[in-house]
Amino acid sequence: MILAALLLVTQVAVQDPRLDRLDPDTRSAVAAVVDSARVARLPIEPIIQRALEGATKGAPSARIVAAVRKLAVDLGTARAALGTSPSEAELEAAVAALRAGATPQVIAHLREARRPPLTMALSVLADLVASGVPADSAAAAVLALAPKARDADLVEFRRAVERDIALGAPPGAATSVRLNAGALDVSGGNSMGNPNNPTRRSRP
Amino acid sequence: MFEREDETVERVIQHLRRPVAIAAGLDARVMREVAQVPREGRRGRPLWPVLAAAAVVATVLVARPWNRTAASKADTLQFVLVAPQAASVALVGDFNDWDPARSPMQTAHGAGIWATVIRLAPGRYRYAFLVNGVEWRADPNAPAAKDDEFGTPSSVITVGGRGS
Repeated sequence: MILAALLLVTQVAVQDPRLDRLDPDTRSAVAAVVDSARVARLPIEPIIQRALEGATKGAPSARIVAAVRKLAVDLGTARAALGTSPSEAELEAAVAALRAGATPQVIAHLREARRPPLTMALSVLADLVASGVPADSAAAAVLALAPKARDADLVEFRRAVERDIALGAPPGAATSVRLNAGALDVSGGNSMGNPNNPTRRSRP
Repeated sequence: MFEREDETVERVIQHLRRPVAIAAGLDARVMREVAQVPREGRRGRPLWPVLAAAAVVATVLVARPWNRTAASKADTLQFVLVAPQAASVALVGDFNDWDPARSPMQTAHGAGIWATVIRLAPGRYRYAFLVNGVEWRADPNAPAAKDDEFGTPSSVITVGGRGS
């Protein structure tokens, strides 16, 4: 236990060398956010990556600091919605879902409807919204699919909706149609959303 | 013929049904032999190295609870960008510290199809292509990152932990 405590203290005290890519003022502000996140037992890697993204893209210091602060807050909100022991991947995906417009209640319902990891389900929700699907429609679709669909099914569902949107279908309608078509396949244990799937063609 | 066989079988059964006399002291002899067999785990193998190793593992887990690279189910993924006019393309994202030098993309025979392969642990990653060191491009074959706070396009990829 003593060794563990020493390692923990050492890790807190030493600043991540990757942050040396930031200018001194930005580095100091980002390091403070990182330390606060660590104390709150939030994942720090996403925060560091967001700062590095800003640095590589040449973003102004204020924008980088604002981005990492907002991310830290959102990670805390995501953890509150996901419960006590989400993985880092689930937290990041939950942040994306929240930013897409999903409510913490939707995320909590998803946690009840599907066994972990929830990473893919949350990401598909966020990606559907990014494709133009209204947030409530995307949330309803993912919640409907969550109990039985595999991760691969969810990805295929998202791709099918995106294809329909690219062909001109209204995003909300595309989601509903694909959901109704895919629900049969999920309950039957087959891959969903693939128009070339022979099991779909043979169904009356 | 069948009756004779039946009689033989019956005699065998009766023989087997007779009580077996166990020699006095058999239990004691068996238990003495058992006691002389060394027990696995005690013979020349002290417990403290195992406990020490467990403590080290626990320490690492406690000290780095959010280490994404610890995930075991990494997927190998190929990223492709068609950019015929590009002189260089780099893949940058959450998986390589947004460092253009870490994942330069290669083009085959100068055809303008740039590709690279990387391994990713389960998670959601933001990334983009950096063309000629100055131009940021999103991946046209991947969902867009909607929450781009730095004014340039990015994409997201999710590596699932099961059934994907």
